[in-house]
Amino acid sequence: MHNGMHEYAFFLGCIAPNRYPGCEAAAIKTSRNVGIELLPLKGASCCPAPGAFGAVDLSVWYAMAARNIILAEEMGKDIALICNGCYKSIYEVNERLKEHDDLRDQVNEVLAEVDMEFKGTIDVYHLAELYYDPKICGVEKIRESVVRPLDGTKIAVHYGCHLLKPIKERRFTDAENPMWIEELVDALGAESVQYRNKMQCCGAGGGVRGFDLAHSLDITNEKLINVTEAGADAITEVCPFCQLQYDRGQIEIKEKFGIEWNIPVLHYNELLGLAQGMSPQELALDLHGIDCKPFLDKIL
Amino acid sequence: MAEEKKQPRIGVFVCHCGTNIAGSLDVKAVQDYARTLPGVIVADEYQYMCSTPGQKKIDDAIKEHDLTGIVVAACSPRLHEPTFRTATKEGGLNPFRFEMANIREQNSWVHMHDYEGATDKAKDAVRIAVAKAALLEDLYPKSVPVEHAAMVVGAGVGGIQAALDLASAGIKTYLIEKTPTIGGRMSQLDKTFPTLDCSQCILTPKMVDVGRHPNIELHTYTEVEAVEGYIGNFDITLRKKARGVMTPTEATAKGIVGGGCNGCGDCDAVCPVIKPNPFEFGMKPRKAIYIYHPQVVPLIYTIDFDSCVKCGLCVEACGEKKAIDLNMEDSFETVKVGTVILATGYDMFPIEKKREWGYKQFDNVITSLEFERLICASGPTGGHLIRPSDGATPKKVAFVLCAGSRDNTGVGKPYCSRFCCMYSLKHAHQITEKIPGCQAYIFYMDIRSFGKMYEEFYYRIQDEGTKFIRGRVANILEDAKTKNLHVYAEDTLLGQPVDMVVDMVVLAAAVEPTQNIDPVRKMFGVSCSQDGWMLEAHPKLNPCGTTTAGVFLAGVCQGPKDIPDTVAQAEGAASAASIPIHMGKVELEPYFAQCIEEKCAGCGMCTNLCPYSALDLVEKNGRTVMQVTEAKCKGCGTCGGFCPGGAIYMQHFTTPQIVAQIDAFLLGGEQ
Amino acid sequence: MAKGYNDPAMEKKFQDRYYHAADNPEFTKEVERIGRTMAHMCYQCGTCTGSCPSAPRSSYRIRKFVRRAVMGLEREALTDPDLWLCTTCYSCTDRCPRGIAPTDIIMAMRNLAFKWDIVPRNFLKTIQLIYTTGHGVPNNDVNRAARVKLGLDAEPETTHKYPEFLPGIQKIMDHYKMKENADRILSEGEH
Repeated sequence: MHNGMHEYAFFLGCIAPNRYPGCEAAAIKTSRNVGIELLPLKGASCCPAPGAFGAVDLSVWYAMAARNIILAEEMGKDIALICNGCYKSIYEVNERLKEHDDLRDQVNEVLAEVDMEFKGTIDVYHLAELYYDPKICGVEKIRESVVRPLDGTKIAVHYGCHLLKPIKERRFTDAENPMWIEELVDALGAESVQYRNKMQCCGAGGGVRGFDLAHSLDITNEKLINVTEAGADAITEVCPFCQLQYDRGQIEIKEKFGIEWNIPVLHYNELLGLAQGMSPQELALDLHGIDCKPFLDKIL
Repeated sequence: MAEEKKQPRIGVFVCHCGTNIAGSLDVKAVQDYARTLPGVIVADEYQYMCSTPGQKKIDDAIKEHDLTGIVVAACSPRLHEPTFRTATKEGGLNPFRFEMANIREQNSWVHMHDYEGATDKAKDAVRIAVAKAALLEDLYPKSVPVEHAAMVVGAGVGGIQAALDLASAGIKTYLIEKTPTIGGRMSQLDKTFPTLDCSQCILTPKMVDVGRHPNIELHTYTEVEAVEGYIGNFDITLRKKARGVMTPTEATAKGIVGGGCNGCGDCDAVCPVIKPNPFEFGMKPRKAIYIYHPQVVPLIYTIDFDSCVKCGLCVEACGEKKAIDLNMEDSFETVKVGTVILATGYDMFPIEKKREWGYKQFDNVITSLEFERLICASGPTGGHLIRPSDGATPKKVAFVLCAGSRDNTGVGKPYCSRFCCMYSLKHAHQITEKIPGCQAYIFYMDIRSFGKMYEEFYYRIQDEGTKFIRGRVANILEDAKTKNLHVYAEDTLLGQPVDMVVDMVVLAAAVEPTQNIDPVRKMFGVSCSQDGWMLEAHPKLNPCGTTTAGVFLAGVCQGPKDIPDTVAQAEGAASAASIPIHMGKVELEPYFAQCIEEKCAGCGMCTNLCPYSALDLVEKNGRTVMQVTEAKCKGCGTCGGFCPGGAIYMQHFTTPQIVAQIDAFLLGGEQ
Repeated sequence: MAKGYNDPAMEKKFQDRYYHAADNPEFTKEVERIGRTMAHMCYQCGTCTGSCPSAPRSSYRIRKFVRRAVMGLEREALTDPDLWLCTTCYSCTDRCPRGIAPTDIIMAMRNLAFKWDIVPRNFLKTIQLIYTTGHGVPNNDVNRAARVKLGLDAEPETTHKYPEFLPGIQKIMDHYKMKENADRILSEGEH
C-alpha cells in the first residue's frame, strides 16, 4: 500500500490496449476511485496467448510468461490484469513455477540467456477478484463509488473459462454456478439476469477463432440465443478476447449466418466506468463493433 | 519363581520362505553366521519353517540338544509367532522361550535389490534375537473369565441379525441404537433387489423378534459414552438420551400403575411444534413428540427436546398413562460384556458438494434414498412418485450412476459404493411398473451386477424397456420455467454427445461411514482403513474381526455391501463373538508389568501414568508397594520406562533383555 | 496386410482397419510428460465429451483423443484435424473423475503435431506477430488515434513503446527455434 492505495503492476495483454483501449483507460480510472492504483509495467509483451502459443510449444509459453512476471518482480509489485487469457498465462505459470522445481529450472535456464531469473516473489490477480475481495475493495466500496446507477438495465454475465477453470489450480471455489460477478454487476444498480448454460465457453479460445471461425461463431451464437431468451440488454465479461468474440463476432455472424443480434457487449471495467460517471467517449465505446447506444439510452 | 540358571543353549532356524527370503538374501550365510554367536548350539535352515516338518525340526532340536531357547528367522511374528510358540511347547520348553527375527517383511521384501545388504541386515537381526533369547524366561499366560454377555452397537439389519444370533445362542445381548427405533436403512427402503421383496415386510418379523427376545436387552435412543476394559471384560457406559417418554416398565418402576407409553399418538395430535422428519429426509413433517413411522420398534414416542417448547399439551393428552416426563434428563448405565459387535451402518455422501449435478440447487434432482421414500407406499406421498417442484408425475426419469463414487478429484469418494448399480436397476423397474408410459434412462460407466441372480435382474430390467446410456453425466442444468432438467453426457457407445431433457433426476450418490462415528470407533480401539470405513483384522481371512480382541464388525460400517452380505457378515461376527463367551475364558499374553517389591518406594507416580488404570498402591507386610492388575495390563511399558527406582519389571521385555539386544546390535557383528 | 488388388479403389475400400497392438508407448509417455497429466488412468467415462462445447457441433471427441493417447495411436491422433477444435475451456478437466486434464493432453498433442510440421497457419501467423512486435494482436493506426483521444499514449507501455525489449523476447523464442520452424512451415504452404 502506498498513500492508502493498493498498488499493482498493470499487465495489459494485447486486445485491451490494441483494440479496446477504453478498457485500459477505464480500468486505471475506476480502480483509482476504489483505492487501487494500477502502475505501468514497462516492456511487457503478449502474455503469450495460451491457446495459440501454448498449442505450438508449451516450453516457450512458460518462458515468455515468466519473462512478463519477472518484469513485475523487478518492480516489486503484484500483477493485476483484466483478461482471462492473460490470467491463465500469468497466474498459472506463476503458481506452477513456484511449485515445480523442474519447470522452474527449465525456464531459468533459457531466461539466463537474457539475464533474467524467475524468483517467485509476486502474486497475480484479476482486477475483478480484487474488486470482489473485501480486504482490497469489496462489493460495498464498488456500490459506493457509483454516481450514475445503471438502473433499469438487465445484464447477462459471461464469466469466461480461464478465470475459474481448472478450479483446482485457482483460488476460487465454484466453476459450476458462481454468482460473485453478478454481485459486482448488481452493485452498479443494474439487474444481472441468469440465462441457460451461462458457464459455457464463448468459442474463441484454443486458437479456434483463427482455425475455424465459423465453428467458434456457432458456439457464440448459442450463447447469444440464451442471453436474448433471458431478456438481457447487454452482455458483460471480464476478458477482452471474449469481448472481441461477442462484439466483432455478432458482425461476423450476420455476414456468415445471416442472423442479426445487436446486443451490446461491455467489459466490466467499461460498465464500472459508466457507473462511475465516465462518458462513452472516455471509454471509446465507438470502437465497439456493436453499437452501445440502446444500452446507453437506458442509463444516460 | 526360582529356576535353575542354566547356561543358554539356543537353537536358530533360518527360513527360506520359498524364494520370498532366499531369493533376496543368503540364507546359508545367515545360518553359518548364527553358529558363531554366543550361546548358539545348533543352527539350521529350511524351505518353510511353518510347515509340519519345519516345526518338527524345532521339536526335535530341543530334545536332542537340550535347548533353553529358540530363535526363528522368518516372517513377521504377527503371522507365525503362535505357530512357533506351539512348536516350542511341543518340544518341552515354555512357549515364551521363543524369539522371532523378522527377515521378511522388514528385510527381504524391502531390500530385493541389495542381496549383500539384506544378508548383513539378516545377520544383525539374528544376532539381536539370539541375545534376547539367551535371557528369556518361563512365562505363563493369564486366563481371565469372559462375561456371558455381548453388545451390538447399531440396530440396522446387520445389528439385528447379529443380536438375534447371539441371543439365540443363549447369550445376553445388549442391542444399542442411537435413533428412537431399530431397523436402520433397510426400513427406509421400499423393495429389495433382486427379489423385489417389500423391505419392511421382510424386516419387521426380525424387528419384532428383537423386541420380544428374552435374551435381548434393547436400548434405543442410546449411545455409547465410554468403554473400559478388554476382551471378556468390557465395561461400557451407555448414555440413555432423555426421551421424555417412559416405557411401561419405566413407569411401573416409578409407581405409575398401568402407565407408560402405548404408542396411541394422542400426544402427537396436540403438539404444536412441526419439524421435518429425518426418516423421510424432511419430505414429511413430524411433531416435537414423534415416532418415525407406525411400525417402529419399540413403539414408544420420543420428544425432540431441541424443538420442544414445553407447553405441556402432550402431558394433558396422555392423561392417566402419565407417560411423559418433560424434565427427563440423559441417564447413564454401565454394563459388562465379553465381546462387542459394531454395526453402525452408513450415511449418504453430501452430494451437493458435486455442484455439477445441481442437488439442492434444482428442485427435481433427488438422491436415491429420497426416491425410495417417494416410491414407498408408506412414504410421504403414499408411493406416488412426484416431482418436488410441482407434484406432477414424471414421464422421463434419468438415473445418474457413480455419483460421487469412483471419484479421484478429492471431492467424492475413490471407492465404488457397490450397491448403487443394483438399486438403480430396481428403481428403473419400479417406475416402469408403477407409471405406465414412464421412461427410465440409466446413465452408467459400468453395470456391476455381481451377486446371485443379479445379472438376471439386469437382463430383466433391460427387457422391461429401461434405456441404458454408457456415459457418466457431465453436468445438469435446469430449465428455469418448467424446472425440467437437461442432462449432459456422452453416449460413449455411439460417440455422440447427449443433452437429454428429463422431468426428474435421481442421483445414485456415494455412501460414507455414519456421521460422527469416529469417536465411537476409537473408544473400541478400532482403526479405519484408507477409505474411511472401519478396519477389519484381515480383508481376506478375517473380515469380521478387528485388531482389538473381542471387537467385531458387521455390515456396511466395514465397507459398502448389500443386504445378503450384511446379514452374512453379521452371522459371521456373531459366531466369532460367541466363541470366547462359550469357552468361558480367554488367555491373555503374559506381557505384564511386575513390581519388584524390595525396590518399590511406594511413591505411586506410576499409578497415575498407566493408561489402562492397571496399577494400584497396596499395603503389603507393612509397606506400601505397587501392585499390577494383570488382566488390565497391556504391557505398554510406560510404567517400566518411568520408574525412577527401577522397581518395575516388564515381563518378556525386561531391561536386561532390551539392553542385551542393543549391545548385540552395536557391539557385536562381524569385525 | 497388403491385399494386392489391381484396383486401387478396392485396395483402399477394404484396407485393414484393425489396430493390432498398442502402437507406440513412447507417444503415451511423451503426451503425459508434456501435458503433466496421467492420461493412462482414463476409464473412458465420457464426462469430458459430455462437457465439451465443440462436441455437439462437430466430430471432435476429446474422449477419443485421450483413448488414442493411452493406446499409443500417434498417427490417428496427430493427423486428425479435429485436434484443433478444442477451445481449451477446461470444463472437461474440471469434471474428470480420475483427475486427468484432457485439455492438457490436447495441448501436448498439438505440440507433438507441430514437431511433425502439422499446425494450422493461424497459429504460425500469431507466432510471427509475437516475434516481430511482441504482441499476438498488435497496435494499428485506428487504435493509436483512439488511444490518444482517450488521453493515453499512442503506444501502450509494452514492447510497442519499448522495442528494446524485443531482442530479449526473440532470443527466448529462438532458443526453441520457434520462429525458424514457423517460417519454414508457412513458406512450404503446409497445414
